[in-house]
Amino acid sequence: MTSRRDFFKLAGVAGGAVAAASVSRVAMAALPEPVIQTSPDTMAPLVPNSGRPYNPVVTLNGWTLPWRMNQGVKEFHLVAEPVVREMAPGFKAHLWGYNGQSPGPTLEVVEGDRVRIFVTNKLPEHTSIHWHGQRLPNGMDGVAGLNQPAIQPGKTFVYEFVARRPGTFMYHPHADEMTQMAMGMMGFWVTHPKVKNPLIDEVQRDFCFLLNAFDIDPGSYTPKIMTMLDFNLWSWNSRIFPGIDSLNVRLNDKVRIRIGNLTMTNHPIHLHGHEFLVTGTDGGPTPKSTRWYEVTTDVAVGQMRQVEFLADEEGDWAFHCHKSHHTMNAMGHNLPTLIGVDHRGLSKKINNLIPDYMVMGERGMADMTEMEMPIPDNTAPMMTGEGPFGSVEMGGMFSVLKVRRDQKPGDYKDPGWFKHPEGTVAHEYEGPLSEPARFKAEGGQSMPRAQTPSQPTEVKVRKPQSHSGH
Amino acid sequence: MRRTLQSSGARLAISAVTLAVLSGCASVSLEQNVSRVNDEASSFTEKKLALSRTEQERKERADAAQALLTQPLGQREAVQLALVNSPSLQALLAQGWAESADAAQIGRIANPIFSYERMVAGDELEIGRALSFGLLDLLTLPTRQGISRYRIEQSQLRLTSEVVDQVTQVRQAWVRAVAAQQTLRYARQVYESAEATSEIARRMQAAGNFSRISRAREQAFYADAATRLATANHQATATREELVRRLGLDEAQAPLLKLPERLPDLPKQAMDPQTAGSYATRNRLDIRLAQTNFEAYAKSQGLTTVTSLTDIELTARRNTKTDSATGSRSDPRGYEIGVRLPIFDWGGMQRDAMSARTLAAANQLEATIRAAGSSLRESYSGYRTAYDVARHHRDEVVPLRKVISDENQLRYNGMIIGVFELLADARDQVNTVIAAINTEQQFWLADAALQASLIGRPTSTTLSAAAPPSGAAAAGH
Repeated sequence: MTSRRDFFKLAGVAGGAVAAASVSRVAMAALPEPVIQTSPDTMAPLVPNSGRPYNPVVTLNGWTLPWRMNQGVKEFHLVAEPVVREMAPGFKAHLWGYNGQSPGPTLEVVEGDRVRIFVTNKLPEHTSIHWHGQRLPNGMDGVAGLNQPAIQPGKTFVYEFVARRPGTFMYHPHADEMTQMAMGMMGFWVTHPKVKNPLIDEVQRDFCFLLNAFDIDPGSYTPKIMTMLDFNLWSWNSRIFPGIDSLNVRLNDKVRIRIGNLTMTNHPIHLHGHEFLVTGTDGGPTPKSTRWYEVTTDVAVGQMRQVEFLADEEGDWAFHCHKSHHTMNAMGHNLPTLIGVDHRGLSKKINNLIPDYMVMGERGMADMTEMEMPIPDNTAPMMTGEGPFGSVEMGGMFSVLKVRRDQKPGDYKDPGWFKHPEGTVAHEYEGPLSEPARFKAEGGQSMPRAQTPSQPTEVKVRKPQSHSGH
Repeated sequence: MRRTLQSSGARLAISAVTLAVLSGCASVSLEQNVSRVNDEASSFTEKKLALSRTEQERKERADAAQALLTQPLGQREAVQLALVNSPSLQALLAQGWAESADAAQIGRIANPIFSYERMVAGDELEIGRALSFGLLDLLTLPTRQGISRYRIEQSQLRLTSEVVDQVTQVRQAWVRAVAAQQTLRYARQVYESAEATSEIARRMQAAGNFSRISRAREQAFYADAATRLATANHQATATREELVRRLGLDEAQAPLLKLPERLPDLPKQAMDPQTAGSYATRNRLDIRLAQTNFEAYAKSQGLTTVTSLTDIELTARRNTKTDSATGSRSDPRGYEIGVRLPIFDWGGMQRDAMSARTLAAANQLEATIRAAGSSLRESYSGYRTAYDVARHHRDEVVPLRKVISDENQLRYNGMIIGVFELLADARDQVNTVIAAINTEQQFWLADAALQASLIGRPTSTTLSAAAPPSGAAAAGH
């Protein structure tokens, strides 16, 4: 039996989490008190002090939900409710989530645990929870209408099953799913192995996060829930760069990163400086014979990937989705390309009409980060982030893996910028430079064209500063 | 014998003097007419209306006009300028004078007729002298003078009404000219924006970033904007020339005409309906005009009852008869009265016509009284609606567009929208300003119409719906 005192202790561990006072204690007497998280920061791992021991994960910009043991059953209490999530400093979103945050807290259990999850619905509409990837009784699968009645507003449902196989899982609603996912309702689930599993290695650092996406009109707070594919915010755990924490590890740590994709498109997740192995998927640990090293793994829609590597290269290594527009924040998708378009004489004319007009895009989009002009309220700039050498001009799904010799075991604090050893940073070449000899392509074409173009194409290098065309 | 002759001569002389005095009562001068207009319509003329007859007066007027033309011409100054400068207003005054003089004529008695006859029959010579005048003319003189007074009154009221009309037209022409000039300035901005857009599109195609169709789309808007600018240009010229005509400027004066940059601000508060109503009932020109018309006819009716039936002519006669054969001479004296016998025409038709006219005038008066309130309510509604719409544009529509514009600037800064969207929005904003100017123009036109209606010169106001920003369709790209 776990007392309320244990709960508060756990809440303390979870860093700033508080027990909800808004639910009547009498009504909730039989339920574990729900714990609410108010901070979007990455919380320290929740080391289990009851139930079976395991090596806890760290949820990027998230937290693990404390539980209570009730006659051998691990009891959690999730509260589905509207939340305000800081997606990046200065940019807040009105989302739906669980226990104060979107995504909801990570649930960590051990293989073979009997788990009982109370779900209280404080949303304005009914909901349900589907335990994505779990083996469980059909009536616990959480598809409203198919497996259970929907949980009406104000009602509490209870799910109970045994966590049968170890691995990486997710939870999300399966009632009015498009709305509720677009509003940010989702969470992570990790089932740790009960005994040593030959396919699951011990690691020193175990990170997890969900890929999610929102369509929030610049200047507004609430996502557009009817958007199908044209999202404008690509996030990890509902955070966008520069709001995403770095992954801080000690040199030569074995690191595991678990990624689940609840967006509507695939994400080629790419790590610099190291090769990794995909050691697990939705189906559990991968057979060793199927593993090969790579630096980018594609995480398809509704999938989970677990990658592992040895962090044996010191430094600050970029870690991001390789779709370049996914490393951007809100931006226009229909802007004309202005590269190379001379604006001489025009700006003044436009300034007569629009006094604050400044030319942007004549050289490319980096103008955006250089000019620092005011943008709509509650909007993160399209690309930003000040690194030690200037702006990294990124947004969305981007973070940094920080590998440090002097990072202490179990310490997840940000060590600051990497101090490069002398002579190991690219620098300006100051010697003589001759015009490169241009190579004329030898190749022809596989077949002749039926109609000959009126003007033969002549490939030549366009000098960016040239205004000869007009 | 001599004594009687003298006394009869004296009587004639007295009668003549009496007539002269009586007829003198019904005379009218130009000064009377002009000062009457200035009094009646002082809110319009500020008592500055004058007809100049001498070179000196003309020069004074020209100097006053010249002085007014040195500054940008406000609405009040425009009216002043028209009053001192417009030949058509001068013509109106002169005509009014003529009309009053004609009306005064009715109150005068016809001149007596002196006849002299010389008849020779053999040795007899007969010389006849007769001084005859219409007795009825004399008897009805007071009545006719009454009629005359009403007619003079009527002609003066009519003159005032026409001056009010002219002034109202000057005011409205001024409002149109200023608004058109303001609109032209904004149309030029739209054009410049379109020109910049088209130029960027051209350079984008040159740099290889734009297809021919994309460039053509941007240029099509530019082409439209050029047409609209040309139209706005003409509108500004046309309304200015209309004002030039209303002010009666000559070739030398016209180029000196300077207009203020913009229409005056809306008054803080619209005139409330009670004020408008009470102001109007006191002194309406149209009701008084109908009233005097009716009274003149009513007065004439009594007269016509008598004059239609008969005519009485009184003649004083003195003859001299000389017979050269006998050397005798006699001077018979006497008088004769001639009465027209109503045998064929008992004057019924004349009286019918007169009664009918009086009846018509009475009904006309009633109709004018009944219509007065209604037309004033209409004018007021036009004025009030124009005021509310103009205020709505000033306080709601334009600020909202400003917010949209500001936010679009921020979105452009964040690379959420591109330069073409920003420019399309700027054009929309300018079009909103043009629409707002339009509503202000409507208000000042309605204001001038209401002023005229209040004094009793109903002027209809047609409010047109504010045109939506015409760039809205083009903003889609």
